[in-house]
Amino acid sequence: MSTLLKLEELTVSFSTPRGELRAVRGVTLELNAGESLGVVGESGSGKTVLSRATMGLLPGTATRTGKILYQGEDLMEKTPVEVRDLWGTGMAMIFQDPMTALNPVRRIGSQVTESLIHRLGMGKAEAREKALELLKRVRIPDPEAMLRKFPYQLSGGMRQRIMIAIAVSCKPELLFADEPTTALDVTVQAQVLDLLSELRTEFNMGMILVTHDLGVVAGHTDKIAVMYAGHLVEYAPTKELFANMKMPYTEALLKSIPRLETLTGTRLPVIEGRLPDPTKDEPGCSFANRCPYVTDKCRNESPPLTDGGNGHFYRCFFPIGGK
Amino acid sequence: MSETTEQPQEITEPVVEAPVKQKRERKRPVGFYIAGSWLGLIVFLGLFGFLLPVPRFDESFYDYLGAAPGTPGHLLGTTQDGYDMLAGLVNGARISVFVSLVAVTLGGSIGSFLGITSAYFRGKFDIFMTMLFNIMLSIPNLVLSLALLSVLAYSDQDHPATLTRRISVLILSLTIVIIPILGRIARGSTLQWGSREFVLASKSMGTRNFTIIRKHILPNVAPALLAIGFLAIGSVIIVEGSLALLGIGVPGGASWGSMLAAGRGNIEFSPHEVYMPALCIAFTVISCNWFGDYVRVKLDKREAKI
Repeated sequence: MSTLLKLEELTVSFSTPRGELRAVRGVTLELNAGESLGVVGESGSGKTVLSRATMGLLPGTATRTGKILYQGEDLMEKTPVEVRDLWGTGMAMIFQDPMTALNPVRRIGSQVTESLIHRLGMGKAEAREKALELLKRVRIPDPEAMLRKFPYQLSGGMRQRIMIAIAVSCKPELLFADEPTTALDVTVQAQVLDLLSELRTEFNMGMILVTHDLGVVAGHTDKIAVMYAGHLVEYAPTKELFANMKMPYTEALLKSIPRLETLTGTRLPVIEGRLPDPTKDEPGCSFANRCPYVTDKCRNESPPLTDGGNGHFYRCFFPIGGK
Repeated sequence: MSETTEQPQEITEPVVEAPVKQKRERKRPVGFYIAGSWLGLIVFLGLFGFLLPVPRFDESFYDYLGAAPGTPGHLLGTTQDGYDMLAGLVNGARISVFVSLVAVTLGGSIGSFLGITSAYFRGKFDIFMTMLFNIMLSIPNLVLSLALLSVLAYSDQDHPATLTRRISVLILSLTIVIIPILGRIARGSTLQWGSREFVLASKSMGTRNFTIIRKHILPNVAPALLAIGFLAIGSVIIVEGSLALLGIGVPGGASWGSMLAAGRGNIEFSPHEVYMPALCIAFTVISCNWFGDYVRVKLDKREAKI
């Protein structure tokens, strides 16, 4: 398999009135064509910034260092127009909230055909045919009628399907799904994720699935990258990660998923404490002040990314289950 | 921006069967019909008034100096100089409609373009445009028009400026007044809509910036521009009237403002010379304002639905 995307020491910072805010700190990872990578972490851990920085969709206050190699070419050395030509046909993104990602005053039809017409140069009739095909593909009942509807007439799940149809319309090779199911309810979540996995196999797309829910990525990814405070703290093939968890933070994330079998009245498990201030550079492990296994070494030295074998990397001095 | 929170019954996955063709509300307020028909009449007179069987507006009827309204042949009377009032008002509608529509369309297009692009692209261009709009707004528009008219359409006894020239300069000065007003509205509205996720989503599909502006920003910004555009037509008519009273409007008593200016000396003998053009101006301005408000209320309702 060929390498589709490779990030090397990617760092993203924003200049804010409080100082330099470093949202992503030296992330290195790799994705093969047709492979799926889950990026997991709590709110504010930098996962959304990571995916937007990779695509180049960040506002002007952001600066990126490191390398973003897409099919071997560094995207940061390309001109904005060259990068824009990759958007849609090379890389595409599904956004978190399907309520705001569709234009409220335009019909679904014109929004689905927009990139077909403007990016692929299709004629109106051809684009309409293609749009119908896409809507059928994302299992929308009565696609003919759907083309004439406005976004407010659709439910959240329907809108997210439309967003998926738009994102895959130009057959991208890499699809970013930025918390695609967070705004949806649980039953719809599973359907949307299954649909994404199906489309990925069908079009042989690479996919980066950003989420805060380890349960979501478990069945739908080949690899998982766990992020905390901008750092990549654990990075392993999905099976390996769940079988052989090394990082205390990953363990804590997994523990904090509410379970049905717990008794009524039990407190929901949480990770105590808060994320460190992203504008400050404190010594030691970024998870030190919340880690149940913390030692003095953790507070003073920053752990390097350690190779644990089997493609498993972690950033901890005292990994669970030993080295 | 109020997002509709999903109704419980909408969460279920099968399509929400919202009727595709909802019955439009047919009931409109009475004001809609009154203001609408007045504006319709004015536009009709402006476009086709010259075809109507009324006396010539630029001919003095010596048999009927200062005739009262209701005189046969001169339905709305004549001025002290014998000019037919009805003909004058019809011709005035043409000038007023022409001047205000051209000024608002021109100024509105330029202003919207500058406002939308500056808010969309931000950066130095935006800072510059905001500064420019503020400077333009700080100049009193009567003073600006006076200055422009006396420089660009200078006339004295020996070199009278042509009518075309004076009207063009008048339109130019009114356009300059309109640009920052609509420009700021367009800018503000674009700031609001341009940061929405659907713009980013379209961008992430590789859509060109001007396609995004045309397809995503403009349809959302247009209603606000339309609402303010109506208000602007009203204020342009007033500015034109004020300029005429100062003696620098369209010369020869051609526009409503100029008729008012010409007739104000005769208010004791033939008050209809003053109140008729004044009423025309007032009705038109009120109708425009009413329409502007109506559009804005409709817009607010629509936004609440989104």
